[in-house]
Amino acid sequence: MSTSNIGPKGPVTKTGEVVIDHVDHRTGAKTGIGWFLNRNIPGETSWFQTLGFAAMAVFGLQAVTGIVLAMYYKPEPTQAYASIQDITNHVTWGWLVRGMHKWGASAMIILVFLHMARVFIFGSYKYPRELTWVTGAILLIMVMFMGLTGYLLVWDQRAYWATVVAMNITASAPVIGPYIADVLRAGPTFNAHTLSRFYAIHMLVIPGGMATFIGLHLFLVSKLGISEPPWSKRATRARRAEEAAARAAARDRRPQGRREVSVDPAPQTLNVEAGQ
Amino acid sequence: MNRQDQEAYKADYAQAKKEGKPFFPYAIYKDHVVAVIVFAAIIGMSIWQRVGVGPPVYSASSTFEPRPEWYFFFLFQMLKIFKNQNAFLPVIMATFIVPNILMVLLLATPFIDRRAERRISKRPFALSVGILVFMGMAWLTYQGETGAAPVGGGNALTFTGITPGSAAAAGQAVFMDNGCTSCHMVKGVGGQVGPNLTTVGTKTFSATYSGKLPVPVPGVKGPTYTGTGWYVLHTQCPICAKPGSGMPAFASLTPTEYANLATFLNGLGTTYK
Ligand code: HEC
Ligand code: HEM
Repeated sequence: MSTSNIGPKGPVTKTGEVVIDHVDHRTGAKTGIGWFLNRNIPGETSWFQTLGFAAMAVFGLQAVTGIVLAMYYKPEPTQAYASIQDITNHVTWGWLVRGMHKWGASAMIILVFLHMARVFIFGSYKYPRELTWVTGAILLIMVMFMGLTGYLLVWDQRAYWATVVAMNITASAPVIGPYIADVLRAGPTFNAHTLSRFYAIHMLVIPGGMATFIGLHLFLVSKLGISEPPWSKRATRARRAEEAAARAAARDRRPQGRREVSVDPAPQTLNVEAGQ
Repeated sequence: MNRQDQEAYKADYAQAKKEGKPFFPYAIYKDHVVAVIVFAAIIGMSIWQRVGVGPPVYSASSTFEPRPEWYFFFLFQMLKIFKNQNAFLPVIMATFIVPNILMVLLLATPFIDRRAERRISKRPFALSVGILVFMGMAWLTYQGETGAAPVGGGNALTFTGITPGSAAAAGQAVFMDNGCTSCHMVKGVGGQVGPNLTTVGTKTFSATYSGKLPVPVPGVKGPTYTGTGWYVLHTQCPICAKPGSGMPAFASLTPTEYANLATFLNGLGTTYK
């Protein structure tokens, strides 16, 4: 940076700066992005703390491959199957895009579960990150629903009947089950509109919800800061220092020459009284 | 966590941050390394294991398994465990109660476990629950992957009493081709969502339904439906024949197909064994 600062700025640089300043002046974008990127995180983070980002990256991949698929897919009971075959066998790179979307779905499920496992093991859902966990759990449920609604779109035997069964299971739930099933199926039975309804849910409703919740999730993660692995060197050092300080304080309270056991009465007398 | 623990955590975390590193580039670079590996794996799998397409809906192909994606296997497998439908293990346990309890527990985890301790070595209970849930799901998924009896393939089933070319033979074909076996078992072949139909013909069904039959079938008239007539009504409109039935309606067959199917069902376990 410092060497390029000598001499007059070129018109392109100047224009660029003017535009950036203009936007920053009105939105605070530069400050915001700067805060996001330059904020400190704990010094020792684990590789397992990258899984959430990986899940988010795959969500982006699913969006891109999904858009490409939507350009060729026809959500019509009479045409859906043929259009999938067309994508798989004729469209240039179609097999690859479809393959990536399908494998991406499995990868996303695996990543989300691994991410959740790491949050659980690290105890990262504890104060103050409870709501981060709740938004994450809602994301997990939405990911599962993406799988359910996407599966039907191929419109082959096994997906069709599996989804019929799933809808019947939904309908068997007490009280609201039948209504939810009716809404999903676009009627009391599987019919010509069921496919387009699943299509709309799969590519508009749930992705919209997921984008919103990923936004909330990320906001919370960056606001609260990523947690420090509980066994990190710094935390261990801090814990040891605290324990040493507590011991030292206890020692200081003790009259000269007395043995530790007899002087620090609080926990022991309490135990005897409360326990027996 | 009480107030004091919360304050202690906040102070400790602030210290960790102060001694820490900036998000960019330290965390960002790790994130991207992993994301690139994941993308490479996805592309590699797509090339190595090309995705295919199964037979289309309602095709006459006889072997298919109505299976969900692998990540729902644990739910489907649970359905099999609770299939007995007795008072203690009703199907609703698998379809509603257990999944919803799991979902609520998932959402409520941070409000249930409020202890300050974060090291997993000092959280034996949380660790055991985590391992149990993980192993349980992995086991159910594995069972669903390997143990599922293939459904369909029933065209090869032979019944004594059915001669080729008869109405019952045509009815058997309708039964197999319309995915009835994805929910019903006949002679050991099929799913377990609905009742086993191997001897359904031994039952006597009767229903009163005053509405119009969705697809009129010659010789079948209301308002009282019994015998083959009941099967026609039940196939077209399950809830009309059995109030509260959980079976989907099959309203797009031809009148002859309905009649043949009814003949086949009505004789199952009596004439056709
Ligand atoms: C999606 C699953 C599913 C499919 C597919 C299905 N059924 Fe059913 N069927 C059920 C369920 C569930 C019941 C039990 C309904 C109840 O009593 O609540 C049932 C009940 C029945 C009964 C009454 C049995 C009795 O003992 O009460 C008959 C007969 C029957 N089905 C025939 C068929 C035929 C024929 C087909 C194919 C055209 C078919 N089913 C397809 C789920 C299904
Ligand atoms: C679509 C699914 C999800 C996405 C895209 C996602 C994304 C992320 C990202 C990028 C982070 C930053 C830290 C990291 O990468 O580990 C994070 C943290 C977190 N996630 Fe998720 N997540 C998802 C699902 C979940 C689920 C299912 C849960 C738990 C039920 C969850 C709970 C959390 C918690 C508590 C944190 C904070 C962890 C900490 O500060 O150490 N997330 N998530």
